[in-house]
Amino acid sequence: MNKKIGLLLSLLFLWFFIGPLKTVQAQKVYQIGTDVTYPPFEFANKNNQYIGIDIDIIKAIAKEEGFQVQIKPVGFNAAVQSMEAGQLDGVIAGMMITPERRVKFDFSQPYFNTGIIMAVGKNSSIKSFRQLRGQKVALKTGAAAAAYANSIKSKYGFKTVTFDDSNNMYQDVVTGNSVACFEDQPVMQYAIKQGTPLKIPLKPANKSTYGFAVRKGHNQKLLQQFDAGLKKIKANGTYDKIKAHYLGTKHHKAPAQPQEDRSFFGLIKQNQAALLSGLGETIWLTVAAILFATIFGIIIGLLGVVPNKFCQGLSTTIIYIFRGLPLLVLALFIYTGIPSLTGQKIPAFLAGIITLTLNEGAYIAAFVKGGIQAVDPGQMEAARSLGLPFGKAMRRVILPQGIKIMIPSFINQFIITLKDTSILSVIGLLELTQTGKIIIARNLEGFKIWAIIALIYLIIITLLTWLSNWVQRRMQA
Amino acid sequence: MSIKVQVTNLNKNFGTNHVLKNVNLTVQSNEVVVIIGPSGSGKSTFLRTLNRLEDPTSGNIVIDGTDIAQPNANINQVRENVGMVFQHFNLFNNLSVAQNIMLAPQELKNLDEQKAAAQAHHLLKMVGLEEKFAAPIQSLSGGQQQRVAIARALAMNPDLMLFDEPTSALDPEMVGDVLQVMKKLAQQGMTMIVVTHEMGFAKEVADRVLFFDDGQILEEGTPTAIFDHPQNPRLQEFLNKVLNV
Repeated sequence: MNKKIGLLLSLLFLWFFIGPLKTVQAQKVYQIGTDVTYPPFEFANKNNQYIGIDIDIIKAIAKEEGFQVQIKPVGFNAAVQSMEAGQLDGVIAGMMITPERRVKFDFSQPYFNTGIIMAVGKNSSIKSFRQLRGQKVALKTGAAAAAYANSIKSKYGFKTVTFDDSNNMYQDVVTGNSVACFEDQPVMQYAIKQGTPLKIPLKPANKSTYGFAVRKGHNQKLLQQFDAGLKKIKANGTYDKIKAHYLGTKHHKAPAQPQEDRSFFGLIKQNQAALLSGLGETIWLTVAAILFATIFGIIIGLLGVVPNKFCQGLSTTIIYIFRGLPLLVLALFIYTGIPSLTGQKIPAFLAGIITLTLNEGAYIAAFVKGGIQAVDPGQMEAARSLGLPFGKAMRRVILPQGIKIMIPSFINQFIITLKDTSILSVIGLLELTQTGKIIIARNLEGFKIWAIIALIYLIIITLLTWLSNWVQRRMQA
Repeated sequence: MSIKVQVTNLNKNFGTNHVLKNVNLTVQSNEVVVIIGPSGSGKSTFLRTLNRLEDPTSGNIVIDGTDIAQPNANINQVRENVGMVFQHFNLFNNLSVAQNIMLAPQELKNLDEQKAAAQAHHLLKMVGLEEKFAAPIQSLSGGQQQRVAIARALAMNPDLMLFDEPTSALDPEMVGDVLQVMKKLAQQGMTMIVVTHEMGFAKEVADRVLFFDDGQILEEGTPTAIFDHPQNPRLQEFLNKVLNV
């Protein structure tokens, strides 16, 4: 049994470290961040592959200049923060070149012209900013359009509410919760063409351009290659072809095919590959996290019961810190906070495992400690009075009894860990929840997809609960 | 006769509570010393400091030449030679009767399983429970459990046995069996220090009886002296309450 665990641990260890090494090939691979969905610039097609003007442009440039890119659709705001932390090499995400942004980023030559517009409901009578007084306006976090809107907010006296993606921003206007939103012109035009029931009453307020961004002072070679490549693809016609493909008169109606089956079963069948992949990642994360959290928790728990004041204090402090920190904050701290300090990238999966190990491990430590302390103190007294040293007494008498007490809590923690993996969607891990977000970003079937995702979680948790009950019955027998 | 236990100026505080006040005691080998006294007098605490289940605040406790009150004393080694029997038996719940008895000799004396089992059989025979060798301890009555506990303590071949109110948690009809085993031990020459309320046992078996009250030994002497001619008024009061039910 111990051998098998050792083997599994070694395999996991190798997987984490050999895995990234695999990507060291002849060509340099850059990690490029982009939005979860921002058609026509980046979005997922029916097979959940990423396409769009930005994607096609950077891939074409990469081909010309001889490097490779890995697209990380983590969301606009998340991409920017990840890049600032050094986790991503660059961001191409319909990002407007602004003087404020030039302080933190170096931009390529502009690769697309745009402007900021206001969109309102299809049947709205709003035709000027003055009509926004006292009303709510929806914005997208970190977007240039949002910055523009915030700059005129007090002048025109409207309130704002922010969302992390464009889709949710549009929906807020569609549902009537907000009366208007601010967006980049080509993106809004594209969305309206795809059927979003909004309209653009005014001409663009702020003509601008999109650029490819890197962290100021870093990745200068990549930036130069982008500029050189952009020149080339403009010269050889690739650029125009890409533009025409998405914005031309004969462009396809992706992402949402009208024939797409919108029933529950249709949606499940349609997206089963993505859902299974997301579920697989969730389970992988859960199993790995529980493994490491258990080891961590047992060590810290035992530290809390050895007869040494320093060890006990250390154990109490660690449990206190990692039970007290919200999991979300811990995940972001480890994924973006630490790399900013050390300058070293951490793969998202590893950051996720570390987060869960620390958080779940702290809870496990608490009930390991509690389980041991729940054993009648007379047991330890009898063992010590026979001359058994502390360690032997623990091993032969206390721990066997303590473990029985801990088992229900362990199974419970397994279930909690599974649910907590969904929080890791915030660092871009493609587990089940993030998969749901991307599917919905593409087909806008929010209610149905979330219902399906919720059902999948419930099924897995029910299976785990049955397992827990079975184990507890066996323990009592 | 050599000195087994020498306690000098022993004090124990629990916070501000001064529970043992300058206790002095000498116990010779083969002696049976019985400690009586009211609840809260500190007699159990005193017994527990003799194998350092309680840490003394000050004073010396010399057992077989080793002062266990010193911080650098090898307490595990001393404990191998001092057996203890608890009021609530404290048998190991995760082990069978035989495993309870065999654990310490196997772990500490590297006895192989055969020898340890043979010894367990022998000890169980001595306490009258040979047929319970493989039984789970939960299947035993209180009196049987206590006798197994005595066998467990004897498995390490101690020179000194401490008994902390060994029959106080037993139904009256089982008390006799346990006292019988203790009597046998005394007859075999074991050095014993027993905290108990069983005056009959004290009268019959003790070489010396100590009256403990308010953290001190107020009177000590032979059973006859203590029970028939008590001097200390508090002892007289105590015996009055206990013997005239």
